[in-house]
Amino acid sequence: MRHGRIVAHFGSPRTTLAGLALLAVVVLAGSSSGGMVWPLTAVLALLSLNLCAALVVHPAFRRQLPLLTAHLALLALVVLAAVGRLCALDGRFELTQGVPFDGRLIDQSRGPLHQERLQRLSFRHDGFEIDYAAGRKRGATRNSVTWVDADGAARSDVIGDHRPLVLEGHRIYTSPNKGFAPVMRWEPRQGEPVVGAVHLPSYPMHELRQSREWTLPDGRAVWVMLQFDEVLIDPQAAAAFRLPGEHRLVVRVGEVRAELAAGDRLDLDGGTLVYDGLRTWMGYRVSYDPTLAWLLAASLLAALSLALHYALKFFGQAATAPRSLTGVIDG
Amino acid sequence: MAEGLALHSALALYAAAFGLAWMSLRTESGLQSGYTAAASLFGGALLLHTLSLALRWQAHGHGPFTTMHEILSSNLWSLALVFALAGWGVREVRATLWAVSPVLLVMAIWMLLADARPGHMPPTYATPLLYLHTLVGKLFLGLLLVAVALGAVPWLRRTPWGARRLARWPDDRRFDELAHRFSAFAFVCETLMLIVGAVWAQDAWGRYWAWDPLESWAFVTWVALAATLHARIALRPTPAAHGLWLALVFAIAFLTFFGVPFISTAPHKGAV
Repeated sequence: MRHGRIVAHFGSPRTTLAGLALLAVVVLAGSSSGGMVWPLTAVLALLSLNLCAALVVHPAFRRQLPLLTAHLALLALVVLAAVGRLCALDGRFELTQGVPFDGRLIDQSRGPLHQERLQRLSFRHDGFEIDYAAGRKRGATRNSVTWVDADGAARSDVIGDHRPLVLEGHRIYTSPNKGFAPVMRWEPRQGEPVVGAVHLPSYPMHELRQSREWTLPDGRAVWVMLQFDEVLIDPQAAAAFRLPGEHRLVVRVGEVRAELAAGDRLDLDGGTLVYDGLRTWMGYRVSYDPTLAWLLAASLLAALSLALHYALKFFGQAATAPRSLTGVIDG
Repeated sequence: MAEGLALHSALALYAAAFGLAWMSLRTESGLQSGYTAAASLFGGALLLHTLSLALRWQAHGHGPFTTMHEILSSNLWSLALVFALAGWGVREVRATLWAVSPVLLVMAIWMLLADARPGHMPPTYATPLLYLHTLVGKLFLGLLLVAVALGAVPWLRRTPWGARRLARWPDDRRFDELAHRFSAFAFVCETLMLIVGAVWAQDAWGRYWAWDPLESWAFVTWVALAATLHARIALRPTPAAHGLWLALVFAIAFLTFFGVPFISTAPHKGAV
């Protein structure tokens, strides 16, 4: 008996109200301070238990099928979101034009149950086109990619903005982060040559800071800076991202300084540094969440069931017929 | 030029309609002719406003989605349209034009103060989801405003002045029931707005929800409206108290729509 009273109390709409108030407080406090995962989980768990108790103690709730479906879909949404976060991967990487993805990420956050499959993904970034409106306002991005599908056939596509590349459930997106990549080759006196691309800071956002260091296999730092005179993206007119025609690469290694054109070589202690040419690089985001389609289905089911519930309640046969009205409103 | 003329004429007609609605309210018996004239002026304003938006769309090649001026103008238009359609179908709504006028006037004045120059359509806006998200969002805010207007009648009746002026109108329970119906469908539209927004965010930014300021406030608005619907069952508030709950939810929604996107520095910041 006492047990029943506790369940009834816990499943009451008043408890729901308290839970909703708590939820709003947690979201507002958490979004300003960050780190709201556990409080949010606790409040959602409380509301889920409240719903389960309400199903037990309110038979009328069970009789209204669309309302019941809407609430159960919300419950499913909470469970799916939790499962999704446990299995999810969100990360970031950069690729030089013409270079295949090797599965390495610059930074990432992954759920504890995520199974690593990035090494199996293989695609190549083949360059991009980006439109700019006057004022250097970024327009559409068209980024070409090629990959080999599960049947071994070569595939290519253009992704960008709203079009991710989807490989084995991983969604790979372009980002506003992109720029120039001088390709350098180090030919040591002894041993194999090493090729590397230096991803200069994002362009045009950091157009006055087009320099970065590259480290040789022997640990020496090579400072490189891209130099060109032409205006690539005119702030006054519509334009497109492109490589500079005439350019020089300023290179500093210790006391040695040189300005290299594409194909130039610089002799240094222990080997030769070759500037192979200029390419582009693109920053990508990758996300993996196996529950995305289910989340969409559950949320749509909740919304549409609720719409059906209200339509039946307000316009169904059981709904009260509109009363005749008198007074100033009647025409 | 033509767009500006149509817009300013529309604003003048809105103002005249609101003035007439308030004047009709001031007479104890209520002037039928005053309400009819106010409705006609409101309809005319809506037509001119539609024309101004269409001319702007044609001139700039994109919809009114990018600047504060455009967003205020399109929302003023959609709120007026939803109110007009609701008033067409439900007689009680027609008589509450005075109740929506403060909100619409604030938006109109704010719009006149905002920079009217065209903005840039970000690449993330090149999707049909923009139109779907906007549609259900405008329906949500419009239906909620109608609910607030209906909920304002029992509220006003608590004052001696309102009790005298609105004595011959249908009773509070009728307005309360109608306010509940409109707020219930507003809740459905808000739920759909959040769903479409999440799908859009997944494609535009690679994540469906990140608790940025706009998403957090939109979620809090959803929670506040859900709480209002539950409170009607759990607490059985008086019609006047229910009207106040709805007004509070509308205030949060208004802040979310027009405040948060323009003060937040997070990536999801609307038109900035």
